[in-house]
Amino acid sequence: MPGIAAAAVAAPSALSGGADVIAVGVLLAEFGMFRQALLRDQVRLYAAQSALISVLAVVVAATRHLPDLYALAALSFALKAVIVPVVLRRLLRGIGAIGGDPRWSDIAGSHALSVASAVLVAIAVAAFGFFTVAALGIRSPVLPATALSVSVAVILVAFVLMIVRRDVVSQAIGFLSLENGVSLTALVVAAGLPLILEVAFLFDLLVAVVVFGLLIRVHHGRAESMSTADLTSLRG
Amino acid sequence: MHAVMVLLLTLPLAAALACLRAPLRAAGPLTAACGVVCFSLVIALVPAAAHGSLGYLRVLRVDAVSAVFLLATGFLYAIVAIYSIGYLGAGHGSRARRARQFWVGLNLFAWAMLVAPMMSNLALLWVAVEVTTVISALLVAIEDTNGAAEAAWKYVLLASAGLGLALLATIFAYYAGAHVLGQSYDLGFTQLLTVASHLPRAAVQLAFVLAVLGYGTKMGLVPVHTWLPDAHSEAPTPVSALLSGSLLAVSFYAILRFYQVAVAALGPTFPRGVLLAFGIASLLLAALYLFGQRDIKRLLAYSSVEHMGILAIGVSFGAPAALAGVLLHVLGHAAAKANAFMGAGVFVRKFGTKRIDAIRGGLDLLPWSGPLFLLAIFALGAMPPFGIFRSEFEIVAGGLSSGNYATAAFLIIAVTVAFFGVAASATRMLMLPAGRLRDRPARQLVTAGSAAATAGRPAGTAPAGTAPAGAAPAGAGPTLGRGEPSAWMVVPVALGLLALLVLGLHPPAELTDLFSRAVGILSGRAS
Amino acid sequence: MQRRGPPETSTTVSPALPIPIVQLLQVVTIAAAAPGVSGVISRVEARLQGRAGPRVLQPYYDLAKLFRKEALAPDGSSWVFLAAPLGAMTCYLTVPLLIPVLTTFGLPLGYMGDILGGGFILSLASFLVAVAALETGSPYAQLGASRAKTFGAITEPVVLFVVFTVALVTGTDLPYALAATVRSSAGQIIRPAHLLAAAALFMVILYETARIPVETHSGTNEFGMIEEARPFEHSGPYFALLKWGSAMKQLILFTILLNVFVAPWGLASTPGLVPVLLAIAALVGKAALLGVVIAVIDNSFAKLRLFKITEFAAGAFLLAVLGVFTLYLGGG
Repeated sequence: MPGIAAAAVAAPSALSGGADVIAVGVLLAEFGMFRQALLRDQVRLYAAQSALISVLAVVVAATRHLPDLYALAALSFALKAVIVPVVLRRLLRGIGAIGGDPRWSDIAGSHALSVASAVLVAIAVAAFGFFTVAALGIRSPVLPATALSVSVAVILVAFVLMIVRRDVVSQAIGFLSLENGVSLTALVVAAGLPLILEVAFLFDLLVAVVVFGLLIRVHHGRAESMSTADLTSLRG
Repeated sequence: MHAVMVLLLTLPLAAALACLRAPLRAAGPLTAACGVVCFSLVIALVPAAAHGSLGYLRVLRVDAVSAVFLLATGFLYAIVAIYSIGYLGAGHGSRARRARQFWVGLNLFAWAMLVAPMMSNLALLWVAVEVTTVISALLVAIEDTNGAAEAAWKYVLLASAGLGLALLATIFAYYAGAHVLGQSYDLGFTQLLTVASHLPRAAVQLAFVLAVLGYGTKMGLVPVHTWLPDAHSEAPTPVSALLSGSLLAVSFYAILRFYQVAVAALGPTFPRGVLLAFGIASLLLAALYLFGQRDIKRLLAYSSVEHMGILAIGVSFGAPAALAGVLLHVLGHAAAKANAFMGAGVFVRKFGTKRIDAIRGGLDLLPWSGPLFLLAIFALGAMPPFGIFRSEFEIVAGGLSSGNYATAAFLIIAVTVAFFGVAASATRMLMLPAGRLRDRPARQLVTAGSAAATAGRPAGTAPAGTAPAGAAPAGAGPTLGRGEPSAWMVVPVALGLLALLVLGLHPPAELTDLFSRAVGILSGRAS
Repeated sequence: MQRRGPPETSTTVSPALPIPIVQLLQVVTIAAAAPGVSGVISRVEARLQGRAGPRVLQPYYDLAKLFRKEALAPDGSSWVFLAAPLGAMTCYLTVPLLIPVLTTFGLPLGYMGDILGGGFILSLASFLVAVAALETGSPYAQLGASRAKTFGAITEPVVLFVVFTVALVTGTDLPYALAATVRSSAGQIIRPAHLLAAAALFMVILYETARIPVETHSGTNEFGMIEEARPFEHSGPYFALLKWGSAMKQLILFTILLNVFVAPWGLASTPGLVPVLLAIAALVGKAALLGVVIAVIDNSFAKLRLFKITEFAAGAFLLAVLGVFTLYLGGG
């Protein structure tokens, strides 16, 4: 049935298929964050997501002969998959949110929406990102266009996460994973970005993490909880 | 001139380090001295920048546009540092640690804001702006109150998320540039401008919209302004002044750089349309929110949103007169808003509250700050002969000359409405006799942390007010005598008004040269 | 995947079976192997829990025993109660005609319905069982039926999206065509759309076969039951038919997942006796292997609380939708 088969979507090459799978994995990790009920797991998922991005960077480096990217992959793995999660975990343990009082480590109740509704909203938002970016027709020299759409979807879903989760750690993780989405975009459309600039971005991220950590600690010290539900006194 | 640039880059950093080690008593004067020196350095840069761009080490670059923003930051750095000496006061012994953090943070904050306009490429510009975010978030949180913690959290979260979008914009700008310049392109915007006509349109459009949305979050454009009133009202007053006068301007500077590229690549219609939409939304919403504000610092914060809207609209007019007005407005707003915040800070110190209806008789009780605050409010409301009158006049004239009659008319009406909103509250604070406070003694118990107190929390969780300098929290009310809390808090306001007068009556020739050069750059006639 | 019988090149040494026999063998294989696969799963599960467990053939003995028993119907139930197991069984016997159980080439009746048709027939069976459960008036049976339909409202769209994915990948929605496409190149397997659709289908199968994390398959926790609660009031041969039917449904779903999505290898490409026998062995082997995987999952996760099942279903929905998205973007 050649006539019918012509309507089918052609299979991508094994490389771009694999790259797409990794990109989709990043997106799934982002969706997974809606589901997590424990702070510790939330941080783990972030580490896994960061690791996936480093893997993708290695794939791009190997196939497109961009040696800079090896260094970037190593750096970003060390920072985002190891150091940042360790810093976060130590901070959370320090204030008893891991391994301490379950009132603080359990964030299952921090949803403004139910998980299923949040996922459905996020799917709609991701669809918007997917098709908007696809419509712009931005083609990348190194990775398939699908990866670009996926990365924009990651960013938008991260925004949804920051909105529907009402606890400080999820919001911080939402921001960090938003940054992961931006890294993914950078990998797709800006693989040749000079290493020194990438390092500057990463360093900046580290500073931001420290500040987020400090503010989480301040918040916990004042509110005695991880919830942002009582951050409503300033309005108007 | 290179030495000047390097000094600007290192001096505040050195001051921050010194504040870490030096005796606390020396930290204030040291910071003030550094601020004054930095301001002089910026002034020294002005004539050179008015004649061409100065580059150094491929990373630093100062042209006329950046010089305008450096002037705003340098000036505020100097006067806010002086003000802070009075603000923190001497009776701060128990909070020495926090005072030290404040001085270090203030220097770092000013440093980051001085660095941002000197960066020659969009990536480093982004990094610098992000650094301003994290430092200023810590400064907002430095007051140990519930309100400050909440405001800092909202601020850092929203601003960082916004900057995430700005980073995305930067990456798409790289994509567009690398398309033409090859993979080794390092995001310098002069290179981007030279090849602008070959850039892929979709990528530039996306980058510009994301940049306006992302940096616009930090600049306080509606609808992404929501952190701004909280942070401005809960931060220590010197930080509020810097946030409003300088930080918003630095974000605006980043948008201007993207605007330059977008105009060169896409033609003026698209970027101006985007800015116009954001500008009108900001101006309109802020003008309406100004009525019925009960917190003096929130009032001023919404006024900042309003002025940012004016800036965006001014750029969207595109006429040279309007652009010159925009640049003058940056300076005028920096001086006037900082003045207003610092004046309000004196009121907050004197009355121990930020609530407008608990502050009465300002003109009687504060012999200097009262009138100065009134003048600052007039300056902010674009009354002649102050600088903002001149700048708004130029913006409107530019709008009319470029045929945007409806927008210009809207601008005039909205600005007038906003002025009434601010003036109504200010005159109540200043003119109504202090005696009326006696009728409502219960209100006087409300300390500066009014938000926390009204939320019904136990008094213990809302420490003595937002004023960190040991202001008597319950000192408001009939017992108040006539007098200024500190001379250090009066002089900077006077200096700011002086600057506004100079800007309004007769800007120095170097400054007008600088403006015309910058207008040339922004409208694509010079580089 | 032309509409043709056996390829002309079927000059293998083994004697060729008539096509109708092969078609019939598909049904017989499913019907005969289904209780065995259930037996394997229970056995593995028991071993994983450190118990000896029932014999693999135990489900056959159970069925034989039930068929010898007397059938009872609750007071006030109508003919629907007794007709439903027969109807459901008919459905389960029809579906194997449509899907590639044993052969890579389409069998004549395989074109009666596409993958969507197969799905509808399975839904009809489940609907009949639910109606029968409502007939009984027993609270547990009714609870199970209503829950099954509630969550089905989410899982059925998932199946639809999986079908869309198939349709986009192959340009047709015949299961035979997809299996052929998957076999054609490695690029077809690691493309995200295919992986996502397969994963979504797997999650739906966990739901449909009443496995952890949706419900405990062999427990006695009536409150948490969905699928297992529905035949509570049936007895004797009717109950046997329902049990057998649900085992067949499980194997049918396994077959779709295995022979269409995950591992469409080992099927007979000619109607010869040896290839067909090998295909039967391969199918049973693959199904048993999948059964082991499911048993491991059964033992590694906790059952979700009832209201969390929507999250599980939403997850499957997410995977399926993302699969379609990536395809629409071209290439995914």
